[in-house]
Amino acid sequence: MIYILEDAINGVLMGSIYGLTALGLTLIFGVLKVINFAHGSLLMVGMYAAYWAIILTGVHPYVALIIVAPVMYLFGYYLQDIVIKPIFKAEKDVREPITVIIVTTGVWYILDNLTLLIFGPTYRNIQDNPLKGKMLEIGEMFISVPKLWGFVTAVVTAAAVYWFLQKTRMGRAIRATSLDREAASLMGINQFKVYNVAFGIGTATAGIAAVTLVPFYNIFPSVGVLFDIKGFIIVVLGGLGSIGGAILGGIIIGLIESIAPQFMTATWTEAIVYGLFLVVLFVKPSGLFGVKYDW
Amino acid sequence: MTRQNINRFALILVGVVAFGLPLVLRSPTYLHILILLYLYAYLTSSWNLVGGFAGVLPLGHSAFIGIGAYASTILSLQYGISPWIGMIVGGILAAIVGILIGFPTFKMRGAYFALATIAFGEGIRVMVENVDNLGPLKINGPRGLQIPPTNIGFGNYMFAGKEPYYYIILVMLLGILAITYFISRSKLGYYLNAGGEEPEAAMALGVNVARAKLIAMAMSSFFTALAGTFYAQFTLYIHPKSVISLDFSFEIAFIALIGGRGSIAGPVLGALLLRPVSDFSRIYFGSTLPGLHLIIFGTVLILVMIFQPRGLQEPLTRAYNRLLDKIFGGTEQKEITHEYS
Repeated sequence: MIYILEDAINGVLMGSIYGLTALGLTLIFGVLKVINFAHGSLLMVGMYAAYWAIILTGVHPYVALIIVAPVMYLFGYYLQDIVIKPIFKAEKDVREPITVIIVTTGVWYILDNLTLLIFGPTYRNIQDNPLKGKMLEIGEMFISVPKLWGFVTAVVTAAAVYWFLQKTRMGRAIRATSLDREAASLMGINQFKVYNVAFGIGTATAGIAAVTLVPFYNIFPSVGVLFDIKGFIIVVLGGLGSIGGAILGGIIIGLIESIAPQFMTATWTEAIVYGLFLVVLFVKPSGLFGVKYDW
Repeated sequence: MTRQNINRFALILVGVVAFGLPLVLRSPTYLHILILLYLYAYLTSSWNLVGGFAGVLPLGHSAFIGIGAYASTILSLQYGISPWIGMIVGGILAAIVGILIGFPTFKMRGAYFALATIAFGEGIRVMVENVDNLGPLKINGPRGLQIPPTNIGFGNYMFAGKEPYYYIILVMLLGILAITYFISRSKLGYYLNAGGEEPEAAMALGVNVARAKLIAMAMSSFFTALAGTFYAQFTLYIHPKSVISLDFSFEIAFIALIGGRGSIAGPVLGALLLRPVSDFSRIYFGSTLPGLHLIIFGTVLILVMIFQPRGLQEPLTRAYNRLLDKIFGGTEQKEITHEYS
C-alpha cells in the first residue's frame, strides 16, 4: 500500500512537470487557436539552453532560469513575428488556420534536426548537480527532490501566468483577443503584437519546464517529441486554453503512468493514455475542465 | 497541334519514359530510389482523397499502412495465403477501421481532427508493440515479422530483382491517379470539395457531407493499406516502428502539402521534388550531416506555405503553360480554375 502511495506522490510531482510543459501549448492555442506542433522542440531548445548555461557557469540548475526564461521568451516572440505572422496575415478570416499548424510542424523538423546536426545524437545529462538523484525520505517513502522542485515551479508558474492574464493590461488584451479577434482589434488592440507576446510567454514557460527537467532528465535532439504528444493529450484532457486544466491534465497523466504499472505491463500504460485521450476527444472535446469559451 | 494534343503527347511521353526506365537504368540503388518515390507518390495520392479533397488534415495514415502490411504478412506466414489476396483483405480491413475512426472524428474541427488521428495512429502502434499473439495470430510485438525470401514468384508477391517491384508500384500509382481523376470529376468529388470549403453551405444545399467524407476515408484507407502490403513484400521485414511510425504519416502529409493538396498532380510533384532530396542527402551526407534532408523539408514546407499556400502545383502549371505559349505561339486557352474566392 505504501508503495502505491509513494508512486502516487511521485506521479503527481512528475505529472505537474508534464503540465508545465503543456502550459505554453494551451496558452498559445487559447490565443492563436493554433496547435503549436513545435512546442516540444521549443522545450528541447530550452533544455539545451539550460544545459549549456549550467555546464558553462556551474551554477545551481534553477539559477539558469534567469537566463533561459528571457531568452526563450525572445525566441518565441520573434519566431511568431517572423515565421508565423505572415501566414496569419494571408489567412485572416480563417478561425483555425490549418496552414499555421503545418508551418509549426516545419519549425519542429528544422529545430530538431538542426540540433542533431550541431550537437549530435548523444544523450547528455548534468552529472554533478546538487539535485541529481536526491531523495527525500518520509517514513518508508522516497520522494524525488528534483521532481518536488519541479512541482513547486509548475504551480508557481501556472499561478503567475494566471495572475498575468487576469490582472495586467496586456493580460486583458490577450484574453480579449482570444475571445474575439475582430472585436479586440476594433477596441484598438494590436492583435499581432498580442500573438507575439502570447507566443513568447508560451515559449518562456517551455523554457521554465526545461529547467525543471534538466537536473534529472536526459537531453537529446528528439526529446521534444516525447513531450509533444504527451502535451497534446494533456491540453485536450484539461481543456484547450485552460491554464489550470493543463496542470491537472498533466497530473492525471502522471498518475496513470506511475500507478498503472503496478497492475499491468508498463508499456501498456501508453495505450491507456491514448485510449483515454480518444475517449475524451469523442465524448467531451472541450476537455475535463474546459470552459465554453476557450478561456 | 492543339493544346490538348500537346498535353496528351507529353503524358504519353512521360508514361513511355517511366515504363522504359528500368531497361536503361541498371543500378539497383537508383531503382530503389525510384520505387520509394512511386510508393510515396502513391501513398500521398491515397492520402489526398481525404486530406486533399475533404479538406481535413489526417496525420495518422501510417496506421493503415500497418494494417495492410500486417494483414497480408500474417496471412501468408501463418496460413500460406498469397499476399495478393492478403492485400485485398488488408485493404478491406483498413477501410472498415477508416470508417469506424472517421465516424466520430469528422465531427471535429481542424486541430482536433489532426490530434485525434495522431492519437489513433500512435495508439495502434503501441497496441501492436504490446501484443505478441492476438488470438491465433502471431504479431510478435516490437520485434516485428520477417518474411523469409524462399518462395520467389509472382503468386507469392516476391521477386529476386527490383524491376518487378518497380512495375507493380508504377501500375498502382497510375491506378490511383486514374481513380483520383475520376473522383475529382464525379459527384462525390464535388460534394467533397464543397464540404471541405463551406460545410454549412453544402449541407444547406442538401449535400450529405458526412457521408461523402466517410466514403473518401474508406477509399483512402483501403488504398493506403494496399501500399502497406507492397512495403512489406518489398522490404521483407516489418515492425511497428517502421510501418506505423509518426514520421511516415507526417512525410505523406508534407509531400501532399508541398506538391499541392487536392490536386491530381500535386502528390506526384511533391514526391518528385522531395524524395530525391531525402535519398541523396542520406546517401551523401547521411553520416556527416544527419537529418539534413529534414531541415530542407521543414524549410521548403514553411516557404511554400508562406508564398504558395496551395502548393507548388499551381505555379508550375502556370510556368508549363507559359512555356507552351512561347514554343507554339499564343493559342491561349481559357484557364480552368476551381477557385471562387
